[in-house]
Amino acid sequence: MKRELCGYAGKILRVNLTTKEITEQPIWDYVPKYLGGRGVANKIFWDEVKPGVKALDPENKLIIMTGATTATGIPTGGRIVIAGIAPQCYPEQYAWSGMGGWFGSELKYAGYDGIVLEGALEKPGYLFIDDQTVEIRDALAAGIWGLYTYDTQIKLESIHGKDVKSIVIGPAGENLLRMAIVATANETAAGKGGFGAVMGSKLLKGICVRGTGSIKPADVNKVLELRKTMGTPGFNTNPIKESPKFFGHGQEAEVEGGLREYNTTCSHGCNQHCPRLMMDIKSTTWKQERMNQVSKCVGPFAIEWKYDCAWMPAQTYVTEKNNTAACAMMSGAAPPPDFSDPEIPILFDEHQGDEYNFWGPDYNRGMTINELCSQYGVNKWDIIVWLMTWLSMGNAEGVFDDIDFGMEIDVESEDFMKYMLDMIVYRKGYYGNLFAEGMSRAIREMGKEKFGDTIYQQRKSRRLGGKQLDIPISFEVAWGYSAHWNGRGYEGTVPLDTWLPIAVEMMTSTRDAQTNTHHKDTTDYIHAMKTDPYGSLAGPQSVIMNETKSELKEAITTCDWQLPDMFWMTAETELFEAATGAGLTQEEIETAANRIKNLFRAITIRNYDRTRQMEVDEIVPFHRYPDADGICIDEDGFNTFVSNYYRLRGWDEKTGWPTRETYEKLGLGDVANELAALGKCPQ
Amino acid sequence: MTNNNSNLGPKELGRHVIQHAKEYSVCVGCNACEIVCSLVHEGAAGQMLRRIFLERDTINLEDHTILTCQHCQDHPCYEACPKKDQAICIEADSGIVYINEADCIGCKKCYKACPYEPKRINYDTVSKKAKKCDLCRNREAGQACIEYCQVQCLALSEADLGREN
Ligand code: SF4
Ligand code: SF4
Ligand code: SF4
Ligand code: SF4
Repeated sequence: MKRELCGYAGKILRVNLTTKEITEQPIWDYVPKYLGGRGVANKIFWDEVKPGVKALDPENKLIIMTGATTATGIPTGGRIVIAGIAPQCYPEQYAWSGMGGWFGSELKYAGYDGIVLEGALEKPGYLFIDDQTVEIRDALAAGIWGLYTYDTQIKLESIHGKDVKSIVIGPAGENLLRMAIVATANETAAGKGGFGAVMGSKLLKGICVRGTGSIKPADVNKVLELRKTMGTPGFNTNPIKESPKFFGHGQEAEVEGGLREYNTTCSHGCNQHCPRLMMDIKSTTWKQERMNQVSKCVGPFAIEWKYDCAWMPAQTYVTEKNNTAACAMMSGAAPPPDFSDPEIPILFDEHQGDEYNFWGPDYNRGMTINELCSQYGVNKWDIIVWLMTWLSMGNAEGVFDDIDFGMEIDVESEDFMKYMLDMIVYRKGYYGNLFAEGMSRAIREMGKEKFGDTIYQQRKSRRLGGKQLDIPISFEVAWGYSAHWNGRGYEGTVPLDTWLPIAVEMMTSTRDAQTNTHHKDTTDYIHAMKTDPYGSLAGPQSVIMNETKSELKEAITTCDWQLPDMFWMTAETELFEAATGAGLTQEEIETAANRIKNLFRAITIRNYDRTRQMEVDEIVPFHRYPDADGICIDEDGFNTFVSNYYRLRGWDEKTGWPTRETYEKLGLGDVANELAALGKCPQ
Repeated sequence: MTNNNSNLGPKELGRHVIQHAKEYSVCVGCNACEIVCSLVHEGAAGQMLRRIFLERDTINLEDHTILTCQHCQDHPCYEACPKKDQAICIEADSGIVYINEADCIGCKKCYKACPYEPKRINYDTVSKKAKKCDLCRNREAGQACIEYCQVQCLALSEADLGREN
């Protein structure tokens, strides 16, 4: 009999959509060993999904997990993880996506720590969880199949009551777009991985929950203290802000009648309000009605994109005197910088990288694209950062001269973007179907040499006095994902010492890793890397620290932006303890993170034949193009970095496979045995 | 009935928790008020344990509404209670209408008598007890919901604002 801990609801809900069988399983089968969230998801996937299953097969499992902090009142604990085989990955692999919102806490109040879905419905449906009453309902009869994501949620509230919380897919998920999101509230989503298409393949429009129970944290006083201290919330008023124009990364956009916005919160129990909420946008999907639309980091790029964002170093490095969470920077709650800090030049290095001139400012077009992506339920990174820039650059280079999309290519035109999105989301014609498979697959189908690797001639480095630098028209980095704060221009620029660890973090992943890793360190790191960025152990150590923190963020669960706090390295342990009272030490928590990472590694090795060669070959090509300082990857140097990283991880340097000793130290002896039988566990 | 631990002075009769207008500070819908309310009273967080009610504006995120007990001076909840002055009590100096759970028999008459829709009093079907705002009368630091609202959009009304406010 395992000890029951505070913080958890106690049960996982299992639903077989084919047989309609609904069962429950104790969460104690998995925790505290795997903590929760992504940790539990990895374990379930390892145990239950063997090689050969495809993302849209009924055999793929959609694993939705909360963390021990969810619903306890611990700040940012409202987050959940959705995991399974991800159709957006190229090739398809096991991946995950995190999301905030109010669904996770409601699910726990209903009595469940998570849901594991398998099989597929034979006609469109949705899951309705009313405390312990769980039913599969008819999505056609409810009138929600075909609806946009916001409208689906509103309709579900009208059917089941205003207090229900839902995660849903839009038309993009229904039509199996590989970059379809799972959405909740306004613009909150499990955006990466294409899990919206996995739900679509199961004919599951959404999951709607009402939970009236309660969750007890182990240490109420600590929870209350965290609410005051974690991320140093400002406790200031949040008035509506008015400005005549929208200010982007270098261009101003006119806003008819002026811009009105305020900050809002994106998950249950958060003590910050980082997202910007743009008021009264000109809505396309709601016709005459007014609509507010949240805009996070990617949204503003749709409004104007001339330069990359110059503030990436400020969001990456901290010192004891200047230690501000990125969320507090966004909400304006951050205290003014302490200029007595000798590291100020590094911290507030306005690192102006590239000039691209992709498109001029247009507030309405930008917000329309944001709205449509949210309402259709499609990943903005694939659309704004990849499709739009590709159209802009490819058009300038003449690669589309012989192609007819049915409308003249003009990414600056709102009508054209509406046309493209409609064509893709509803899979209209050859190109609609092609782009619905996501950018990585579409470009390969069209011919990568021409449609991926053609050089855009108008990238100018502001760091090198306007010198033209090579950049391909396709912003693909690895595993089927676009650039995402990789630090090599595109959205933001950091020097070699910082983009190197970011590259390794993505290399060992199955998807764009920066969304949840948000690489962070102290300025000591920069000094340590100065003389030998490829050979210094500071690089691999920083990768491991950031990966450990990232595993914990999605296991415990907590926000991507608020942690890690480099001057509060025990934060995750304290949060977990306040929730559960499990008594795990800092070392035990870090071991658990390491266990979760190595189990993930084992999945990639067993199910997808991951090797060193495979992952190095995957990550290097993007880094052969120059960064904004004109620096390209030194492949020998990078291989030294990777070898050092593997060695520190306890992975075999030749294959990249964890050794038996590594698995056994983490209590994963059974995993080692299974891999050894496949010849994939070095001694 | 008087309570020496009360954090409200006698002049503050009838005061209750109000939500500021959004022009002053927009509620971000974070649930902190509900969470801390249930944590300080019950040591756990949950819908049936809170004494303050957030109605989320799911999509537009602009009109999150906070519903609170008005500490009515005619207190219909108190009047309806078969165990008045034991289960529901009125703090003499402050007029705070509060529940003494030990004596509550869970008949739900108070809940039904509350004139507001939705009700400003809660009922826990697990413990079979009514739960209502007591303005944190036993909490030295005062009203937890107000203290922990990250955007300071909650406050105590200046005076009794009556049922319409
Ligand atoms: S519970 Fe209802 S009736 Fe009783 S004091 Fe509060 S608002 Fe008035
Ligand atoms: S539920 Fe309790 S407080 Fe309410 S009327 Fe009945 S006895 Fe009184
Ligand atoms: S004043 Fe106290 S009891 Fe009343 S709602 Fe606020 S926290 Fe709850
Ligand atoms: S704590 Fe403040 S901002 Fe948060 S829901 Fe309550 S009233 Fe709104």
